[in-house]
Amino acid sequence: MPLPSDINFDTLKPEEFERYLPDLFANGSGKVSEDPRLRKFLADHPDCAALVNDLETIAEHARSLFQVSADPSDKVWQNIQSKLQQNSYEDEEPELA
Amino acid sequence: MTQATTPAKSSPGLFKRNPPIAGEAEAIEAAKNGDPEAFSKLYTLHKRRVYTLCLRMLGNVSEAEDMTQEAFLHLFRKLGSFRGESAFSTWLHRLTVNLVLMHLRKKGLNLVSLEETINPSEEDAPKRDFGSRDPVLASSVDRVALERAVASLPPGYRMVFVLHDVEGFEHNEIANMLNCSTGNSKSQLHKARLRLRELLRENSEINLAEGEAA
Repeated sequence: MPLPSDINFDTLKPEEFERYLPDLFANGSGKVSEDPRLRKFLADHPDCAALVNDLETIAEHARSLFQVSADPSDKVWQNIQSKLQQNSYEDEEPELA
Repeated sequence: MTQATTPAKSSPGLFKRNPPIAGEAEAIEAAKNGDPEAFSKLYTLHKRRVYTLCLRMLGNVSEAEDMTQEAFLHLFRKLGSFRGESAFSTWLHRLTVNLVLMHLRKKGLNLVSLEETINPSEEDAPKRDFGSRDPVLASSVDRVALERAVASLPPGYRMVFVLHDVEGFEHNEIANMLNCSTGNSKSQLHKARLRLRELLRENSEINLAEGEAA
């Protein structure tokens, strides 16, 4: 649910917080735990604070994912060479975004 | 071919961090003129990045190798349209992303309507409750556990998670790529993170139980 412009953070309920959470993550710096508007709410609702911390931890760790990369096997290049030599390669136009 | 756009924010993705590669520009020009050695050099320079991107998006070694092959075959055909208006790695990145998306559409993954077509079944959907506080999650999120959890995500969740949190694309860019709304992209990302949280907590509990049994 999009974040209303007139949201009252002082009277926010956990159910509303959950609905707004995707936008809170997307609209700010990505650190909902550091949003001053939510300081009191998170202090009063430790389960919500735990959820935020967990999701922030996942997002932070995501940036280090798959960094230890490997090469594709040799057969990939062999297949490419083979197709190019046969001049048999035809593909469809990808639907570019 | 549409020129690739550079993501607006500082992107953590593999491609966008890399500075120009020595000898790359010469190899591109020579490959455009049909020099097979030059194309081989481009493959050597970029195979790991293309393969890693495919692996991230597909979560499957065999499919990732197939798409790496397709990406370089497509590159061979389209190299002449590269004008150097963006970094070659960025251009190749976008080309690869588009090929993978096309591949997924062919497999029946309708990325046009994410909510309706690639939402997991109810039993797979992330729980909407907050769950109890879990002091061990942060310490249990090691790279291997998270990579495994990402690989087990439903394809639609994984796609948005990888594009946003791993590759660093903005929601409006993802919406353009997947032909969905930005709200949809935000929602899918949130559900993906919630599902990952569940998977990591399950993994953490299993590890804990095994530790106690040992």
